[in-house]
Amino acid sequence: MTKPNEPMRMLAPDSFRSVLSRRALFQVGGAAAGLAILAACGDDSSDSSGGSDTTAASGGSTGGGSDLLSQFSNVVNTASGSLAMFTWGDYNDPDIVGALAESTLGVTMKVDYYPSNEDLITKLSAANGNSGFDIVVPTGPYIPQMLEKGLLQKFDKSLLPNIVNVDPQYLGRDWDPGNEYSVCKDWGSTGWIYNSKVITTPITTWQEFMDATKGAASGRVSWLDSSPNVVGPYFWANGIDWNTEDTADLDACEKYLVDEIAPHIKGFDSYPSTAIAEGQYDLCMAWNGDARQAYARIADAGGTPEDWVWALGAPETELWMDNYCIPTGAPNVEGAHAWINWLLTPEISIKDLLYHGYHSGMKDIDKLMAELAPDAPRVDMIFFPEDLVATMRTGEVNSAQDRHTEILDKMKAAAAG
Amino acid sequence: MTATAHVPNKRKWRGPKWGLAIPSFIWYTLFFVAPIAIIVLYSFGTKDSTQLVPVDLGNLGLHNYREVFSELFFDVFASTLKIAVFATVLCLVIGFPVSYFIAFKVSEKWRAILLAMVVIPSFTSFLIRTIAWRIPLSANGELSRWLQDIGVLDAPFDVLGTKTAVFLAIVYNYVGFMVLPMFVALDRIDPSLREASKDLGATRSSTFMSVTLPLSGPGVIAGIILTFIPMCGDYVTATVLGGTKGLMVGALIDSQFRGSQNWPQGSAMAVLMIVMVLLSLVVGAALVWLVRKLLRFARPAVDRYRSRPRREPTPSRIPDLLRPLLAVWTGLVLLFLFIPIFLVIRHSFNDGPSFSVWSGRYSTVWWGGAPGRTPAGIPMVGLFDFAEAGPMLVRFAVIMAIGIALPYVYRAITGAHNRHLRRWSALVAFVIAIVVNGMMTDWYLTIFQQAGVGEGLRGSFLAAFGATIIAVTIGGLCGVALARHPGKWSAVMMALLFLILVTPEIMDAIALAGWMQRIGGPFNSDTLGVPFGMLRLWVGQSLYASAVVTLIVRARLAGLDSSLEEAAADLGAPPGRAFRQVTLPLISSALIAGGLLSFTLCLDNTIISSLISGASSTFPVALISATKSEIKPFWGVGSVVLFVMTMALLAFVARVLKKSGDSSAQIAATLGGG
Repeated sequence: MTKPNEPMRMLAPDSFRSVLSRRALFQVGGAAAGLAILAACGDDSSDSSGGSDTTAASGGSTGGGSDLLSQFSNVVNTASGSLAMFTWGDYNDPDIVGALAESTLGVTMKVDYYPSNEDLITKLSAANGNSGFDIVVPTGPYIPQMLEKGLLQKFDKSLLPNIVNVDPQYLGRDWDPGNEYSVCKDWGSTGWIYNSKVITTPITTWQEFMDATKGAASGRVSWLDSSPNVVGPYFWANGIDWNTEDTADLDACEKYLVDEIAPHIKGFDSYPSTAIAEGQYDLCMAWNGDARQAYARIADAGGTPEDWVWALGAPETELWMDNYCIPTGAPNVEGAHAWINWLLTPEISIKDLLYHGYHSGMKDIDKLMAELAPDAPRVDMIFFPEDLVATMRTGEVNSAQDRHTEILDKMKAAAAG
Repeated sequence: MTATAHVPNKRKWRGPKWGLAIPSFIWYTLFFVAPIAIIVLYSFGTKDSTQLVPVDLGNLGLHNYREVFSELFFDVFASTLKIAVFATVLCLVIGFPVSYFIAFKVSEKWRAILLAMVVIPSFTSFLIRTIAWRIPLSANGELSRWLQDIGVLDAPFDVLGTKTAVFLAIVYNYVGFMVLPMFVALDRIDPSLREASKDLGATRSSTFMSVTLPLSGPGVIAGIILTFIPMCGDYVTATVLGGTKGLMVGALIDSQFRGSQNWPQGSAMAVLMIVMVLLSLVVGAALVWLVRKLLRFARPAVDRYRSRPRREPTPSRIPDLLRPLLAVWTGLVLLFLFIPIFLVIRHSFNDGPSFSVWSGRYSTVWWGGAPGRTPAGIPMVGLFDFAEAGPMLVRFAVIMAIGIALPYVYRAITGAHNRHLRRWSALVAFVIAIVVNGMMTDWYLTIFQQAGVGEGLRGSFLAAFGATIIAVTIGGLCGVALARHPGKWSAVMMALLFLILVTPEIMDAIALAGWMQRIGGPFNSDTLGVPFGMLRLWVGQSLYASAVVTLIVRARLAGLDSSLEEAAADLGAPPGRAFRQVTLPLISSALIAGGLLSFTLCLDNTIISSLISGASSTFPVALISATKSEIKPFWGVGSVVLFVMTMALLAFVARVLKKSGDSSAQIAATLGGG
């Protein structure tokens, strides 16, 4: 009999758990942060329901737990009521959107999932400011379009003091230069994971990935169910700009993918880890964090994770960044700020990172990891050296979007055969 | 009417004949005709993704249709049609013997039980039941491993993601919709006709061919319509097991709306699709007509063949085999329907992070092999290794034995029956045994705190209740009007109802979502304490449900003599009172049947609900959003809770019905929507 919400079930190291609980003890003893917990527990009836009282001062040097953590802003605001988040599948530690949020912040969370940015936009547009969601997590390039439609509201920066914890290189991006509407949740990249018992020649480039799709892994391959991602391999392998709007390039891409690649594809699957564990695929295109989760699933199902090899796309690949935003008409704006701000504290950020397996954009993240989770497995799938990051490209939403969707639809039809 | 023709009665119904159908007309105009009309209008527009509704209506033209007339669309439509036709035939072939067996070969009591068993699996989300099939079918699953262990298979089998899996998913979800209408039709065949046929010396097979089969026609047609049409629009079911192989045309439309935000092209596709579905129905009807014509043409020859001189039919032993064969077949089909229910229940006790990958405390390693560890690091206990699992099995057996024996002990001591004890003690013992052995996960304790589940369950029931009340009210009135005051208007209404049933859900969903946003008001902000999300769900779910209620009420009344109502009118009862005291009791069973059917339909409503509702979502909406990534075991727990709640509700209704004097078979037929 185990706890279903075992916080560190995934690939989290044991040491992190002990750090967390040790600090929790300090916090109960410590004057400032302890108040937050007491207030949230309902012992203090005077102001626990009063919205966003700042109960924890910055500094976090409660009991001298760590010099490193004290260099971060650790403001935790309480809030009340419920909080509805619309996000990508399985994208937060269940504790952080569940019991811990309730005990720390005083909000109850509800989470719905969407499969694509377009789906998020369609749903927010259809509700016209009445979706009932408080937090959404669009990918960067889609933010300008959402602003144009008036779907997002400005942050109240005074409620997000912890934004100083974010590494400046993940702030001020093109889509929102002043971070007035969005702040980095995490970022990741794309590559593949394959069963080396079946595919014996190593796959190191997108061209080899596509060759394996047609060859050794034919009929047991999954590609991401996301149109920019399915056209990516072709352009990256051929040295063409991923964001090209050139009709000839797109035509050639369509011809190759639909005629030569699609018939070998078994599934278009954005979260293939369960299906890998079930034994459905031998080769999968995957985002790094999901590929990392696949290792845990394979072990759960009694398989041998060591047989599986992960590689980051080459010579070029993707860099996407998902961002916390507050939609227009959000019912609990204060709660949304409080929760986002809480996610920007180093410990919660790392706890969440260990669950989903994506770089959360915190500054000095390697030091944080060394302090909080020194024995975390497979960190090479989370953090990439500078020379690899230099090969990553950011997507754009441009006139090619319709073609990308059309290509994916045609690939699906061809794969259905 | 004729009886009162000479006696003018001032208090008789004076309004237009379609007076009772006014609510339906208003409702359908507002929430079906108008939104669909807008979708049709969009199909002539141009995409403009800078606007909230990404359609530019400034430049209307046929360009979308030109683009939709592409190889891609027709290829996918053709494969959709192929899948739907083949799956419908499969449902018919699998379902007909079951309907036949239930209608003719069993006692009334068994008829009720079997009918209920056909319906019961649909009391929990179709999505989780379909997902549950992944458990036995996955290549690394237990079944595959066991078969390899005992040497039946050399390598893991690979069923998921194939056409076989597509048909399995579809047939599984639709065979019930085929069995029920066919049963109702067969059940209504006057037994004396079949007896007469026998008495006149017809063999079993010729009775079947010339009496039973022709009379089952309407039921077969109803079954085909109820399975074929939703199949054409369904693009979720097939992909759950079939992956890419289950691509349906609905998915293409969905990707236009939600993928590239190309609403105009999506609209054009939807319009084209509905036209094509209607066309294929017409073609199907024409084929049936043609076959009938040909049969009639061939009749003399057939009759001559039949009446050829032959030996006196000797009572052979073969017919005796028919009943057991049918019984076995029915049993297999029911097992097929129930397998996912068992799996959902078992996997709701899954300790692991994923619903379909079992990692409970008790390993199911067959023999040989080490049981391994749970993800939390606890060593597993091999369930088939008695040395380890023995104590648990013994505890289980002892508690169960006590539970089963208790009523008999009670009777031996007191000499009297205790009805409640007999009914409940075994069940309670089962639950206790599970809890005592620590087989229950904490999911069951925390289920209502899980993101999406508790709220989803509550939302589901609230939405289904509201929608059902609307459906029963307007559908009931309209059904009465159709049966009692038919006229030219009834052709219009029937066409409307048929369109509602035929229109693919995805098209309704998009039309309604856009329309509600356009209307605004109570659909965009909470009014009179009604959350707008809930109002949207009530309206959205009531459309299909009210059409079903209308048809059921109409069918019931059409079979009843209208003389009672006329008598009431002749005796001077005002229309309102005649309706309350005569008509209402007459249709009450139909209203309950329709209400129940609409309630279960609404509980399972996924596509419309997911597009029109905001954060106030229902269980299937939350579940389908969870299928975008890994499905956690608590969805199984939620499904079990939903199942138990629905069962309890229906048991209550069945009790009420029983009190009001219906026979058990009638009740079962009522619950099944007959």
